[in-house]
Amino acid sequence: MTGGPLGAVGLVARAELRTRWRSLVALGLLFGLAGGAVLGTVAVADRTLTAYERLSAAVGMADAQVMLPAAHSTVFDRVPTMPGVTESWTPVVWVAQINTPAVRFVSLSGGPDHPPGLAEPVVIKGRAPAAETADEILVSEPAAADLGLHVGDEIILRLLLAREIARFSQGFGQPDGGFARVRVVGITRAPTWAEPATDVSVTPAFARVHASDVSSRGVFVRLRSTDPASRDAFAAALVAAYVADPYHSPLDGLMRPDPYFPTTGVDPTVRAAQAVLLAGLVVFGVVVGLGGLLIVAQGLLRHHGGRRHVQRIERALGMTLVERAVARVLAGGVGALAAGTAAAVIALASGRIEPLGSQAQFEPAPGFRPPWAVALGGGVVIALLFGAMTAIAAAVVARPRRPVPPMPTAGHSPLGRWPAVLTGAGLAWRGPRSVGGIRAAATGVGLGLAVMAIVATVTFQASLRRLVDTPARYGLTSDLTIVDAREPDVAELVADRRVAALDLVITVPVTFGDDTAPLQLLSVEHRKGSLPVETVAGRPAAALGEIALQPRMAHRLGVGVGDTVVVRPVKGPAVPLRVTGIVVYRGGLDDPLGEGGVVVRKQLPVLAVGAKQKVNANVLATPGRAGFLVRELSSRLEVHGAPTPPEIRNLRDLLMLPDVLAIVLAVVGGAAVGHVLLAAGRRHARDLAVLTVLGATPAQMRATLAVAALATVLPAVLVGVPVGLGVARVVWWEVATSTGVGGDVAVPVPLLLVIGPGLVAGALIAAAIPAARAVRTPPAAVLAAE
Amino acid sequence: MADQPPPDPGVPHLVVRGLRKTYGAPPVRALRGADLTVRAGEFVALMGPSGSGKSTLLHLVAGLDRADEGTVAVAGVRTEELSSTKLARLRRRHVGLVFQFFHLIEHLSALENVALAALIAGARPAEATARARDLLDMLGLLDRAAEPPDALSGGQRQRVAIARALANRPTLLLADEPTGALDSAGAAEVLDLFHRLHDTGQTILMVTHNRDVAAGAQRIVRMRDGCVVEDADDDLGPAAESIVAPAGPLWVDVLTGRRTRLARRADPGDTASTEGGGGTR
Repeated sequence: MTGGPLGAVGLVARAELRTRWRSLVALGLLFGLAGGAVLGTVAVADRTLTAYERLSAAVGMADAQVMLPAAHSTVFDRVPTMPGVTESWTPVVWVAQINTPAVRFVSLSGGPDHPPGLAEPVVIKGRAPAAETADEILVSEPAAADLGLHVGDEIILRLLLAREIARFSQGFGQPDGGFARVRVVGITRAPTWAEPATDVSVTPAFARVHASDVSSRGVFVRLRSTDPASRDAFAAALVAAYVADPYHSPLDGLMRPDPYFPTTGVDPTVRAAQAVLLAGLVVFGVVVGLGGLLIVAQGLLRHHGGRRHVQRIERALGMTLVERAVARVLAGGVGALAAGTAAAVIALASGRIEPLGSQAQFEPAPGFRPPWAVALGGGVVIALLFGAMTAIAAAVVARPRRPVPPMPTAGHSPLGRWPAVLTGAGLAWRGPRSVGGIRAAATGVGLGLAVMAIVATVTFQASLRRLVDTPARYGLTSDLTIVDAREPDVAELVADRRVAALDLVITVPVTFGDDTAPLQLLSVEHRKGSLPVETVAGRPAAALGEIALQPRMAHRLGVGVGDTVVVRPVKGPAVPLRVTGIVVYRGGLDDPLGEGGVVVRKQLPVLAVGAKQKVNANVLATPGRAGFLVRELSSRLEVHGAPTPPEIRNLRDLLMLPDVLAIVLAVVGGAAVGHVLLAAGRRHARDLAVLTVLGATPAQMRATLAVAALATVLPAVLVGVPVGLGVARVVWWEVATSTGVGGDVAVPVPLLLVIGPGLVAGALIAAAIPAARAVRTPPAAVLAAE
Repeated sequence: MADQPPPDPGVPHLVVRGLRKTYGAPPVRALRGADLTVRAGEFVALMGPSGSGKSTLLHLVAGLDRADEGTVAVAGVRTEELSSTKLARLRRRHVGLVFQFFHLIEHLSALENVALAALIAGARPAEATARARDLLDMLGLLDRAAEPPDALSGGQRQRVAIARALANRPTLLLADEPTGALDSAGAAEVLDLFHRLHDTGQTILMVTHNRDVAAGAQRIVRMRDGCVVEDADDDLGPAAESIVAPAGPLWVDVLTGRRTRLARRADPGDTASTEGGGGTR
């Protein structure tokens, strides 16, 4: 046996371990459970928030990309030598009609000399096609979902010639290009912002067979640097090569040498979803972590507080505070081991959880992804934290109690007429921590945070659900859209009794403010009835010189109603327009939500100089007729139902998250508060016994604990609800603006009316249990124990 | 808080008969049929070694626990059949309690601790504060009224506890080892206070195991093994017996005026008993 202080420490530790190891292990497991949930949250957050970047890296997203008519062969020849280009690929591209019942077109790309790791979609199902097989293809995940294709399906493609693509809006009959029967061998995944990556990837063999039908070519380059100067230099070289190219193509009006720079930023819709997920996961992790910390801290304080007298004896025998704490930390090693192991196991198990919500679509490696670093590192941290908490708890219970200052009132408040108010509020706010007690301020702040988080979550959820459930809020007010609508078809539809309203939406590409990338400017012409326009602020444009901006655009440009925005056509002078309002209107199916603006029809000719106008028809059918119309028209026109924009799909996938979060918050917060209130009877047993001695009746005892419960809960409700509403308003505004819709929050009044009184009622019920116990317990027993 | 008339001196104010109490497992028989009578205005010291049942008897008298058997009557009211609420009301009307370890509420100031008792007894806030100030002034603690209990010395804390016990103008002051946690100066302070209270007619039952402390009382009762083994005044005649006799429900006593008659029958002159030469002052 080691002598001296070390021997004493070892002896105390062994005795502590021998007699109390079960509770230490139980507390360790509890802490490990909470810690594992936090580590798992970190792992899931990491997997969720990095999905897009990991997919981009796996795909080898190009630094710059563009699609140009295939006729400009000299441009493609010069791409590898353009400024800053370190690697390039110029695949050939086709457009084909697919043999589905409705008229559908897909784009195909492929070709030889594909540098590995540059713009190469990740195969998530099936396999890559054999390079020398012309009839095997890969289909992108969105296209497969849209067309209902699966691995093993066979499809027939009819390739379009360039001139047919150029006549897309006028109609071209049956495609005159080649015919291909191909088999889907794999499904691919790529970041949404990898456009213009195509729907279908074909093999070099396919490219050789159908070389004569190639309509365009893609340009994918890796740049030495992606700083603005390098990007501008590449863009300038591309334009110069395009201008110098002697050839012409019927597609010149449709495809411009304006490259995208995908790696310079994250898709705003992805960013919005990431922001929501990050906020949700942070709140989840913090709540679970704090809840676990609170409960285990109370448990450790109670564990060591129960043997405070033993420490007094040890101190009397000459053991220092450090030696006593070290002895308890050594004994607590078994709990720390349990905590670390449990946390690591739970964190590892979280590797089975795919990225949450919409981000799952970006996971490049679906399936189990063990977060080794988080699990092992986090497990060690959790174990050390448990040890530290053990030491702190042992030291806290050993120190002499400090005087508790009295209520800072001179005399008594008028409420003192009811003794329960005085004593109950005192117990809640200024009562001693005693054994296992946590400061009232900490409880109040924790509860206030929980209420705030719950209110913010349910309010955010209500706003999200309202958006998802109300297509008008994201500008979808029609049942179907006819792409490239021609006048005869429009006239026929206007005369059709099944059509309730028809708007012609004319779009032209323009640039707004200091933007460099073109966006769509819309003009709406009501041909039958009128489809409603979601007006977020102000009013739609009604005269020349006016424009209503879409929300994301207005936010990005920093302009509001009454301001002036400069709009530049492709050719011709810039036009200043006064902003009359913020509206949400869906023009083209592929247009980003919330971008661009809407002007009156008369304004459009000035701004359409040098650009090709696109005309779509948005149709609202009479009730119950939409399905018939879509089926009937889709056999001869390119008709789309009412597809939910990807921005909204991303958010719709998150709908469950706030629900889960609110439930977890309610459970953890409720458990913590319930624990505090239920333990109140034990913590304040002596004071309650004294009240009995002074003549307090059982009813007054119950009232005292009820007041204590109210004093704990009410401030949290009174502060947490408005702050939660404020937080929800800010977060929702950020998400809604990033998405491109109105940022007004939906306040779930009935739910909020339930949360406040519900929490108060729950607290009163929880307080009734220790009150009943306190009333039953003879005060003599309590006071004798003291 | 209504002022109540002091009981007639010499009338049996506390009557205990055949009190039994057993605790826990294995069972500990704390009281084995204890009998005791305290007249109004008496200062009685209850002595005995540790485990003799003194504190248990005091707690049962105060209604802080329930007896297994036997009868307790305070101010003519038998407590064993009372509900918790009625017991609480009886306590707030008639009983003041002082403990060895003070049992003050830590988060209240000295003044608030005293005023709380008055509030519970039914005083309005202003009255309660005034009463608390008067009591603290009487006990020489007015300048420490705003201090929390932890800031006071042991003797001062016990004086606050005594003030609290007096806040409801109790007819019976019970004290459980009131000097046990005090040094000699503090103990002397408290005893002096008890004597002053007794001089004003306050009925006091004090538990102690200290001979010197007990010597200051008017009468000493000794307990051993859960029974009263020595009482200088065990002749209270039929008056006390009538109070605790199982004569039926309390309302019958009230309706028949039996309690009043009993009080009148008691002989005020029969109160000067002493024990072992150390009981009189």
